[in-house]
Amino acid sequence: MKWIGALLFIGTTTWIGFEWSNKLNNRPKHIRQLKNALQILEAEILYSQLPLQEAFTTIAKQIPQPTKSFFHTLGLSMGKQNPDLYSLWEEQVDHLMHLSCLSRNEQEILKQFGRTLGQHDFDQQQKHIQLTVSHLDRELEDARDNQTRYSKMAKSLGILCGIFIVLLLI
Amino acid sequence: MLTDASILFQIAGIGIIVALIHTVLKQMGKEEIAQFATLVGFIIVLVIVINGLSDLFQQIKSVFLFQG
Repeated sequence: MKWIGALLFIGTTTWIGFEWSNKLNNRPKHIRQLKNALQILEAEILYSQLPLQEAFTTIAKQIPQPTKSFFHTLGLSMGKQNPDLYSLWEEQVDHLMHLSCLSRNEQEILKQFGRTLGQHDFDQQQKHIQLTVSHLDRELEDARDNQTRYSKMAKSLGILCGIFIVLLLI
Repeated sequence: MLTDASILFQIAGIGIIVALIHTVLKQMGKEEIAQFATLVGFIIVLVIVINGLSDLFQQIKSVFLFQG
């Protein structure tokens, strides 16, 4: 009985460690997806001159999860009811935070961007998209740095902490 | 009175694991957390040893002073 408990405990902490390192590994990927999505959005606004709702559905077709569902539900809910875009955007950003591994910085950047969306003419809008992309670039660098540094450490620390606590309790 | 050596193995295991944690943290450039982890490990081992010592003193007291 004691040994089963010990094994379960070590398994749990190992799992937590792997989950942590997974999160670190996925963050750069998700930031890159967001950057791609913004670049597509820029192209749709400047060249196809689509309205935002259609631009969002087009983006949702080209981008993998979880950013896909973000733009998909955004496009859908813009079609259904139409309060102001910003409150919808904010709500969906909060939802995206639960699905993806993005941190609070990205949340803040996205919210800032949502405030400018649909308020300006093409030139201004393009500048805002460029600004957001450069912010995301900075975060991407940061996330990559963290990934190379801590993702291995997270795995081994999970296992080691499990064994440590089991040794204490036995 | 070495009927039960498991406490020795426990302390040895804690030492090994703490050393590993220290190495991993140090490699990743978290020196201060590594030091802290070692300190915590040391304190835990100290508590275990002091428990054993207090048992020993109780035994000695019960032998020489005829009380438990």
